[in-house]
Amino acid sequence: MADLAVEGRAVGERQEGFEPQVVGFLCNWCSYAGADLAGTSRLAYPTNLRVIRVMCSGRVDPEIMTEPFLHGADAVMVLGCHPGDCHYLSGNYQAEQRVRTVWMVLDHLGIDRGRLYLDWVSAAEGARFADMVSEFVERVKALGPAGGGPASKEGLSRDEFTFRAEVSRRVVAGERFRWLVGRNKALSEEGNVYGEKVSPEKAGALMQSVIADECVRAAIEVLAGEAPVSVRDIASRLGISAQIVLEQAAYLKRRGIIELYDVLGRSPRYVLAGARA
Amino acid sequence: MQASTVQPRIGVYVCHCGLNIAGVVDVVAVRESASSLDGVVIARDNKYTCSEVGQKTIADDIREFGLDRVVIASCSPRLHEKTFRALLEKCGMNPFLLEMANIREQCSWVHSGDSEAATEKAKALVRSAVARARLLTPLLRSEGRVVPKVMVVGGGVAGISAALYLGNMGIKTYLVERQPSIGGHMAMLDKTFPTLDCSLCILSPKMVEVAENENIEVLSYSEVEKVEGQVGDFRVQVRRKARYVDEDKCVGCGDCAAKCPVRVPDEFNRSMGERKAIYIPFPQAIPPAYVIDAEHCRYLTQGKCRVCEKVCERGAVVFDQTDRVETIEVGAIVVATGFQPYDASKKPQYGYGRYPNVITSLDFERIICADGPTHGKLKRPGDQATPKRIAFIQCVGSRDEHRLDGAGAYCSRVCCMITAKQAFMIKEKYPDSEVYVYYTDMRTAGKGFEEFYQRGRGEGIVFVRGKPGEVREEEDGSLRITSEDLDSGCILDLSFDMVVLAVGLAPPEGLVELAQRLNLSRSADGFLLEGHPKLRPFETSIDGIFLAGCVQFPKDIPDSVAQAGGAAAAAAATCSRQKIEMDPLGPVIDEDLCIGCRLCEMLCPYGAIKVEKTDRGYKARSIEVACKGCGVCGASCSARAITMKHYSNDQIVAQTKALLEVS
Ligand SMILES: Cc1cc2nc3c(=O)[nH]c(=O)nc-3n(C[C@H](O)[C@H](O)[C@H](O)COP(=O)(O)OP(=O)(O)OC[C@H]3O[C@@H](n4cnc5c(N)ncnc54)[C@H](O)[C@@H]3O)c2cc1C
Ligand code: SF4
Ligand code: SF4
Ligand code: FES
Repeated sequence: MADLAVEGRAVGERQEGFEPQVVGFLCNWCSYAGADLAGTSRLAYPTNLRVIRVMCSGRVDPEIMTEPFLHGADAVMVLGCHPGDCHYLSGNYQAEQRVRTVWMVLDHLGIDRGRLYLDWVSAAEGARFADMVSEFVERVKALGPAGGGPASKEGLSRDEFTFRAEVSRRVVAGERFRWLVGRNKALSEEGNVYGEKVSPEKAGALMQSVIADECVRAAIEVLAGEAPVSVRDIASRLGISAQIVLEQAAYLKRRGIIELYDVLGRSPRYVLAGARA
Repeated sequence: MQASTVQPRIGVYVCHCGLNIAGVVDVVAVRESASSLDGVVIARDNKYTCSEVGQKTIADDIREFGLDRVVIASCSPRLHEKTFRALLEKCGMNPFLLEMANIREQCSWVHSGDSEAATEKAKALVRSAVARARLLTPLLRSEGRVVPKVMVVGGGVAGISAALYLGNMGIKTYLVERQPSIGGHMAMLDKTFPTLDCSLCILSPKMVEVAENENIEVLSYSEVEKVEGQVGDFRVQVRRKARYVDEDKCVGCGDCAAKCPVRVPDEFNRSMGERKAIYIPFPQAIPPAYVIDAEHCRYLTQGKCRVCEKVCERGAVVFDQTDRVETIEVGAIVVATGFQPYDASKKPQYGYGRYPNVITSLDFERIICADGPTHGKLKRPGDQATPKRIAFIQCVGSRDEHRLDGAGAYCSRVCCMITAKQAFMIKEKYPDSEVYVYYTDMRTAGKGFEEFYQRGRGEGIVFVRGKPGEVREEEDGSLRITSEDLDSGCILDLSFDMVVLAVGLAPPEGLVELAQRLNLSRSADGFLLEGHPKLRPFETSIDGIFLAGCVQFPKDIPDSVAQAGGAAAAAAATCSRQKIEMDPLGPVIDEDLCIGCRLCEMLCPYGAIKVEKTDRGYKARSIEVACKGCGVCGASCSARAITMKHYSNDQIVAQTKALLEVS
């Protein structure tokens, strides 16, 4: 589904009057304290960022990273303590693993990964925080509004962007994806259940193939949830071969996630299981 | 963890904080927008919400309107969340039904140039807080035990003072020092400003008091390796390095050292003298026991010798000692690991380490000390001649705005007074000598300090304003300094017999690792970060861990001792508590969803979640006392079976949506 990526406009043509909406998830102990210090030191930065405080960057579920895009956010920041400084020892390493894999999902769906930002801010880095926010907001302005059509880097319409954001949210909520994210680092460091170490390249390729499958499945679910659809409809909507869609649709049907709705002409149409009632 | 289905009754309080918030944000507009939100039964704006009047208003409203959620839009929750939670508790509400919107630190103070946008942002932050408040659930705090003991890490004057305050209060205290003796830098000083007391004469009695106090246990030659647990109940692993001498048997007679064949530069005398491989750092050391320097001992490096073992009549030398790791339980920790002098060899322009007659202020303390390598005679290291013309260069490693060569941007605070003291001592002992001080500004704030400095000026010490670019060595070993005198505008080109570099105070070696073990933050200057720069100067961001002395920032002895008193009092207060209440922020596991994949167990940094066999297969169980509430398990669970208390996905998603709503 990489061919989902549409050629967008060149980055850099700034949009007049575009004020991006940025949601930030900041850990209580370092980055939120750093943001407070920017305040205590009266260091100005743009009003675009709105912060949600969490105890640790390791609390930020991939779902939480993708959710804002469904509600109109143009970008998301995840900020934690510097490596080695996490109040809970290793939460920020988990955050890093997650952001890296969510980036892969966004890449696959043709959403610019620059809309999801990860960085570290210590409790003493008020000035760094203020600069970071200012620079990030500038970069998002250059990307253009999420779903801003030709005015955005990705060239996606509002509806298409939301559709893809919804697909991404479902992918990262999936069991297989989450298991791999959680095991990714350990796989290359400790090895799998047979003690075989997996090279980072191989782990990456595995992740890539899981993402490819899951994106198609999630897209089928979303579309079948809207109205009865045929494999051909889906394939043409996603711009991928009917064969791939058929394989994944068969899988979803076996798992009882979608079911046959009717047969229109010679094409069977599917809906989400239970939706017919 | 289902939020109640009954419509919540929320009270919203928008704080003016005087003009701190109201001067930028239109608080009335924020209050008005809040009052129309779902579930809000009363919204007010107050001048100072945290004041008694402000708190009373909330208490009255809780009663009158039957509020079951409170939202306060004010300063950072890091400042006042505790205050308002306590208020809710006083009013009979569960403290976790409070939510704060940070419209000061993260709004009015950073957006003062754009009132309109700041007001819109404040509205959004309040909307988000209300959305979250709707979904808050009452939580019960769990209780932890309190071990009424304290560990003090670092045995300089700050650590010694803290340990004595605690020991005298009857609290069992462990004093962990990485060197073979306690004493720190103060033990190396000759006299102390501004009164010129002999340093060891005032420190040594305190060190003896430590040794004699039955509540204090000195763990010398030891280092903290690992820290677990939380306030009231820390478990600290301390590595006790092999000393190869039985502390209890050694009486410090020194027969061993007299026979030891290995000579090593003596670090206590800044390598200007020698010691043996078996040695005592200085005569007044506590514990008063010898120690074998394993790196240089002939037996330990080459397998032959053991002379000391033979001559020790008390059989105190024990070569089969090895490092031991002890686990010690304490309720509070005081960190007092001090500083290290800035390494002057990093500034090659001054020639330290290359020119023998360029020394540091700490070297000078040893040279001028009666117990030092020259028995208190002022002799320069190059040729043992008595220098006649001496120059001091200030701010070496301090006040360097570009932080070149590992220098600090900060002022080390004590170096001006150290130089004033040392210059004065030279003039006192050798009235004919000529003393020049090259300085940036002389900073002598402190009781009796300015008076002392003026006394020095009266003795004919020459103060030159300006930082010399370099020191050059001449063929005869004398040192040349060319520098502009900023006061007169003249170029001074002078020759000296000896140059003393007034080195700054830098964070001590190993502080990065220690901070990580204790989970403490460091400030931009590299020292440990205090709880609040003004109001919590000896606390840290971790409950139950306190700071004393130079590890927080350079300071002199009286300030170090004062801070030690504060830290000791705070540690004692922790120990006097019956129990510690812990925030219940852990996971709730839905066993219907859990597939027993063990991801949570593998990722939890504290082993606080374990998968166990149950009638329904393998299921995860939370171990509440071990859990710190980071949320890693909840964010990772492959089956999304975990809900985090107080930071659930539902709550966070509701906040997200509310933030992005177009108002
Ligand atoms: C040249 C010079 C002259 C001075 N003259 C004066 C003066 O005249 N008057 C005055 O008021 N002040 C003076 N000062 C300042 C004074 O030395 C300090 O204020 C004082 O020593 C601070 O005490 P402290 O306990 O904080 O640190 P320190 O004296 O540095 O003690 C810290 C202790 O902690 C130990 N330690 C370090 N890391 C660890 C670890 N990881 N684990 C266990 N233990 C550890 C160290 O070995 C040391 O024993 C002078 C300083 C210098 C450099
Ligand atoms: S919240 Fe953190 S500490 Fe508690 S069980 Fe989950 S991962 Fe472990
Ligand atoms: S990660 Fe989730 S599904 Fe896996 S064992 Fe833990 S709670 Fe159960
Ligand atoms: S607490 Fe800041 S990243 Fe974990």
